[in-house]
Amino acid sequence: MAYGSKLKKKKMFKPDKFGPVRTELEAIVGPENVRTDEAEILMYSYDAGMAKARPEVVIRFTAAAQVAPVVRILYRAAIPFVPRLAGTNLSGGTIALKGGAILNLSALKKIHRIDTENRVAVVEPGVVNLELQNALAPFGFFYAPDPASQKVSTIGGNIGENAGGPQCLKYGVTCDNVEKLEVVTPEGEVKRWSYRDPGPDLMSLIIGSEGTLGIVTRAWLKIIKKPKYTITSAAAFDSLDNAMIAVTKIISSGILPRALEAMDSVSIKAAGENSKLPFPAGTKALLIIELDGKSLPLIQKTAKRVEDICSQTSASYFRTAGSEEERAALWEMRKGAYPAMARLAPDVLVEDGVVPRPKLPQALKKTREILADYKLTASLLFHAGDGNLHPNIIFDGRDIQEVKRVKKAGYEILKSFISLGGTISGEHGIGVEKRVAMAWLYDTKTLNFFKSLKTAFDPAELSNPDKILPVSVDNRHKIPVESADLSAGAKTVLDELHLRAKDGIKTMILGLGTKINYSAAAQNARPLELKSLDKILDLDRDNLTVKTEAGIKISELKKQLKEQGFSLAIPGLQGSLGGNIASKTFPDMRGLLLSLDLAMADGTALFLGGKTIKNVAGYDAVKLFCGSLGAYGVILSATLRLSINDEREPAPEEPIAVFEPCNYHCRIKKALDPANLLNPWIYGKAESDKKRIANSE
Amino acid sequence: MSKYEINELYGSDSENRHLKTLLTDLGERTLYDAAAQCNRCGYCETVCPTYMLTGRETLSARGRNQFVRLLVEGKAKNTHAAAEALSTCLLCGACTSACYAKVPTADIALEGRRSLSGYGENFFSKIAVETLLKAPNLFALWLKAAYLLKRLGLARLAEGLGLYNFIGMPALKDAQNSMGRPPLRFASEILKKNQALAQKGKTSAAWAYFAPCGPNYIFPEVALATVRNLKKYLGDGIFIENSCCGLLAHNYGRLEDAREFAKKNILRYEKLTGSLGKFAVIGDCSSCVAFMKTYEQLFTGNDEWRPRAAAFAAAVRDILEVIPPEKVKRSQKAGTAGKVVYHDSCRACHGQGIRLEPRAVLKKLALERWRELPESDWCCGGAGAYAFTQTAMSNAILERKLTNIASTQADTVVVGATSCLIQLNSGLKAAYPTAKAVHYSVFLDNFGKRQE
Repeated sequence: MAYGSKLKKKKMFKPDKFGPVRTELEAIVGPENVRTDEAEILMYSYDAGMAKARPEVVIRFTAAAQVAPVVRILYRAAIPFVPRLAGTNLSGGTIALKGGAILNLSALKKIHRIDTENRVAVVEPGVVNLELQNALAPFGFFYAPDPASQKVSTIGGNIGENAGGPQCLKYGVTCDNVEKLEVVTPEGEVKRWSYRDPGPDLMSLIIGSEGTLGIVTRAWLKIIKKPKYTITSAAAFDSLDNAMIAVTKIISSGILPRALEAMDSVSIKAAGENSKLPFPAGTKALLIIELDGKSLPLIQKTAKRVEDICSQTSASYFRTAGSEEERAALWEMRKGAYPAMARLAPDVLVEDGVVPRPKLPQALKKTREILADYKLTASLLFHAGDGNLHPNIIFDGRDIQEVKRVKKAGYEILKSFISLGGTISGEHGIGVEKRVAMAWLYDTKTLNFFKSLKTAFDPAELSNPDKILPVSVDNRHKIPVESADLSAGAKTVLDELHLRAKDGIKTMILGLGTKINYSAAAQNARPLELKSLDKILDLDRDNLTVKTEAGIKISELKKQLKEQGFSLAIPGLQGSLGGNIASKTFPDMRGLLLSLDLAMADGTALFLGGKTIKNVAGYDAVKLFCGSLGAYGVILSATLRLSINDEREPAPEEPIAVFEPCNYHCRIKKALDPANLLNPWIYGKAESDKKRIANSE
Repeated sequence: MSKYEINELYGSDSENRHLKTLLTDLGERTLYDAAAQCNRCGYCETVCPTYMLTGRETLSARGRNQFVRLLVEGKAKNTHAAAEALSTCLLCGACTSACYAKVPTADIALEGRRSLSGYGENFFSKIAVETLLKAPNLFALWLKAAYLLKRLGLARLAEGLGLYNFIGMPALKDAQNSMGRPPLRFASEILKKNQALAQKGKTSAAWAYFAPCGPNYIFPEVALATVRNLKKYLGDGIFIENSCCGLLAHNYGRLEDAREFAKKNILRYEKLTGSLGKFAVIGDCSSCVAFMKTYEQLFTGNDEWRPRAAAFAAAVRDILEVIPPEKVKRSQKAGTAGKVVYHDSCRACHGQGIRLEPRAVLKKLALERWRELPESDWCCGGAGAYAFTQTAMSNAILERKLTNIASTQADTVVVGATSCLIQLNSGLKAAYPTAKAVHYSVFLDNFGKRQE
């Protein structure tokens, strides 16, 4: 889509849309907080990425309750808006591509409550990540996501991007650490969603949606008790490949470090100039491994195992920090790598991509080749433990030719990640700068699916418009990814659904028959058995993941995994894997789910997620199917994270509450299954419900 | 030097009103290169007091850098639009401390200010700077007239007559309210008559005392305490009989005047080194001292003066950094100071990197009554005349400082810059009267003994 001439659009826009509502907006936030002067407009035309565009008005909020009424006015006046906090976004996510309003939420920085008993902190979106950590520290608690920008980036921004950080390896990314959200929808409704609510998980969908589905005005965050003991070690290698082999071996041996970070020789050189750490000459890679836990002997034993693995993979140096100072020096080394690059040139492109861990050596080799081809200087820094790479490419933004080379090289690198089964963003988001790459990663079917989610939430296309999804799909650059090989059983399901859809025949997804309420189901729906989908498709020992058909019994899956030496951190539930995902018997299952293959109502297949541990490319729709009760699609197979001898005792099964769909659930249903073919009683219990679906515009 | 010769900020006719190049942590840079070094990472935002209070990018360090950059590139045409962003900068330098590339935002904002038409042309400040530069005695006379009225109980008359405004120091209007007895003899007058500080008969000196305007005109007791401390801990020295350092002119858009002040001081220093050899020039107001340490930057592009300015700057020291803690012993009455905290004046910690030295001394004096002040390097909002040009913002910044002070239940807040002394005392008087701000020199003079 063409953006058209900016000047022309401005002239058309200003008198028509903003002028008439200005007084109304001022009445809500105060005249001094509705700014259209050139200075304010210019200052909100950039963030930490490369894209720039001028908004037409900047609205600053001084109370969270002002957000919904302002959004309602903007919605009525069809003025696009972009929520914004610290503006540290690296993918242009906070740029007002269509002009309109910037909603400046950074003054909403109340910490409402810290509840150590229930392990939750309730905060406003403008609270800076580090401020929250500082507030939690006196109680001996912390909030797990620790992005490098935590000194400045805010909880709201972290939620928008689904931010990670070094210690997310053990404690999960932002999504795993949010309990509940208060969201102002693009039409100005105020909703509170938790992943534990019955029905499809809308809360997780909001996380990482970059402000395109709504605006978070309050967040309930999981807080964790600080582990008593921490051991930090460093290992140096004279080959990057060996270092990566060590990473894979550490993880696949079942060790789950708090952080497992890696640096290449350029990073080591840049950051280590002032460091007194005695790494041997010729060091090509450095790993920093941090373990934590309640029992000192236990983590000491684990540290010894890490050391053994490193020496087996020819580490030239291994040392465990003997003091807090030494530990700080190690982290200084890791954290100093970006600053050192920032001093070498005016600009740094912090690229972000993920590959399955065992593919790290290939990804690194390819990245180095691309950088050499484009004659660029970059350091490679990565959260090795979860396969998340950050090449830091330095350049001067004023050198147009160099900028072109940087962008091209960035895209080449992303393509190489995709072809290794990886993804184009692990924690920085898509924004505007990686929009084009979405079409390389996803097929049209998936992109359309994402688009339908966006439309369900934001039919008028006002909330952070033109972000995440490509505005035009250029198939010339499509990268052939090994498409999910569907089993014969899965293909049969697809064919069957296709035939039923043609004739308008409704389906009752029977699964193994343990979750069905037969009385409710008596609506002429034909049963669909999934018993035959009971095979484990791919057990990846190095990546610690399993892909399995969804009809397999949980007990059978756990048994088979145990025989292979793995465990799955879910309780012993009745019924099939797919059935338990769809009925959300164990809400925390969302943290283990990496991908789903689905059969949609029309008999087409939809593939979501992959084998990477982190993925923030597009909407986190895998979790949307947790609790979808079969009404959105039929789960054919799933990829799950595994553990080895997991010490955690899984939570017991929870009783399933009655699901009352809200209007957003209904809209999504309408987009995915307009004829209400799948498990029709869920959204069609009564005439009034049918009307609700029909009227959920 | 730079690949990019663009500069739409000012025309070649006003080059003299601007710095030729900036001396940054990464080397000598044009204004454009210095501003372009900001990669917009935003890590400065949470240390920028004006951003933290308003949440507005326009009032943030990153915003100010970007603004000047846009002005230089000609992408923002209206310099007036930048006025709010540039004039609200405290010049505290906290952003530069937080910045990986040490982008000198304060210097960049100042360059922007200098291009604002009319900035620094304000009648009063112009008269004041010129009087202070060309006829310091006349300046002193006006000030004394104002002080005299105050002593006669006619403080409001002095204000009404605009005497403080007239000498360009509206800050004094408030300051004199917090002064018990405004001085009728300035420090320089007293020190000039002190034979022990005379140059005559000396062939060498360990130090020369530089009397900044604050201690000279407002707090002579600070100047005298500094001199006593220098003698006690460093041996014999002299009074340099200096001119104003030029900071006021520098920060309010009058670079050419600032250079004149600098030249006077450099000439004075050179003359003295001719007979005394090298010595340290020690001042007791961190703002002036930090500024003098950057004199070289005033003369980039001037081959004659640049090395001379560099030599002078290299000799400059802050009283906060020169007292060796091992020579300091606690005196009996030190207990009367109660709980002691130290406020990092911006131009000491951000401007000069002085943080540990004064603490080492103060801890020896306060012992178990020492407390660490939370956010000790958060600006107090004084910032020269800022308290008067940006009253509301200044008060908000001060409030946060006072809250932090109150959280320690401190009785004494030790500071190293005049502006902080005025600002904190006026704030404490209103909100927390049991605590008092005291200059480092006075505190040391009162409670320290030389360890033999």
